[in-house]
Amino acid sequence: MSGEESFSKKLMMAAAMLLFRSHRKPGVKGWELKHRLGRNYIKIIDALNSHLKSLGLEVKTALEEGEDLDKARFYITMARPLMLSDIVTAGWSIDEVAALAVTLSILVSRGGKAPVKDVLEVLETKFPKWKAEAHLERAIRRGYIDKGEDDVLTLGWRAKVELDQKELLTSMLEARPSEQSGEESQEE
Amino acid sequence: MSAAEKRLRIAREELENVINICENVEKRGLNPFTVNVGELLSKLRKMLEENPDLEYYAIDAETMYKIATLIALQHKWLRERAQALFVDAQMIVTRLIAMDKKAIVKAFLRSWRPIISLEQITPNRLRRGMDHFLSLPPRSEGRIWGWRISQREMEFIKGRLAEEEEVAEKVEKLREELLMVYKERGEVDYWEFVRRERFKETFERAYLLSFLITEGYVEVKRNPLKNEIKLIPRKEKVKHEQPVSLVIAIGVSGSEW
Repeated sequence: MSGEESFSKKLMMAAAMLLFRSHRKPGVKGWELKHRLGRNYIKIIDALNSHLKSLGLEVKTALEEGEDLDKARFYITMARPLMLSDIVTAGWSIDEVAALAVTLSILVSRGGKAPVKDVLEVLETKFPKWKAEAHLERAIRRGYIDKGEDDVLTLGWRAKVELDQKELLTSMLEARPSEQSGEESQEE
Repeated sequence: MSAAEKRLRIAREELENVINICENVEKRGLNPFTVNVGELLSKLRKMLEENPDLEYYAIDAETMYKIATLIALQHKWLRERAQALFVDAQMIVTRLIAMDKKAIVKAFLRSWRPIISLEQITPNRLRRGMDHFLSLPPRSEGRIWGWRISQREMEFIKGRLAEEEEVAEKVEKLREELLMVYKERGEVDYWEFVRRERFKETFERAYLLSFLITEGYVEVKRNPLKNEIKLIPRKEKVKHEQPVSLVIAIGVSGSEW
């Protein structure tokens, strides 16, 4: 097998490893990639990343234990923001994402921590109590939020990977209800 | 309680209160600047001067440690605020309440890059699914397979079967005995037949006999005037058109057993 063929095969292998979920959590650890792709796995990941960019996707690395890439987790995420219509296609409901957005915004604005009671108080201005609690539970199950023993919510692993925290606060502050409604009616 | 002891107790309670405040701020992610550290420290100094006691020093040191943690939290809070462009949490909440769901989602989408992953069946998951399916009880006559019996359930069933076989054997033995007594003496007195020295044996015989009576292998004749109950065993099962239930109480009096 030529060097080019071997590289191409490894590229496909890397794509399959990152796209197909083989553990409970999505993503692959650096050491797993190293085991399958060899010592130069970072080069293969970089090459895959440039291929994915044209599809609007990218490989994201989340360092978990210091700066060691072997212990980091690699994911494929969207490279550009989703459209409102995309989230419905992806199987999310507007209500679910809105609840997630409210919860994460509160947590980020409070340094990553907030009591469940405070979050539910805001959620209940948008949803009935049972629905607010159900959305919160689902966000916890999906890894966006962690719930501590003292009923304190913290940002989960998934929020840390998928969310640009600074951008979230900025966009929440910039979005104006009146302007937003105008945009919505145009879109609809 | 002496005045010094009382003062020490009050001082300790106050310090514990300070510790609780610091812990609460840390645990619940509250604004650490709501606590006036300067005031706490001067209060601590005053209390330390008033209580030159070793026990007090220990709790004072712990309070100092908690206040130091609080200062570290204030530092962290400031750094995070600076990173978050000093956005006030209350302002965010106000915005969230004012905005409708779609507006919130639109703003959120600007900062959200979800992970892309495909769920697929693996041999392991397939095996787990099959195990789960086979462990489900059959829902109706439509499904004839499934509900795999676990080892534990199998042992329980085996135990029950063995127990039932044992009971059936004992009932048969009792029937043969009754037939023999009947052949020798005719109608058999219930109590004479059932009663044994030990209550446990008597109870067991009465219990086994009840099966024979219910099944129609033994007929019961009751004479309320003489307070007698007679047993007439049958070689064949006799089906009663109108079966009557009969209650025979077995007392446990100390004199008899």
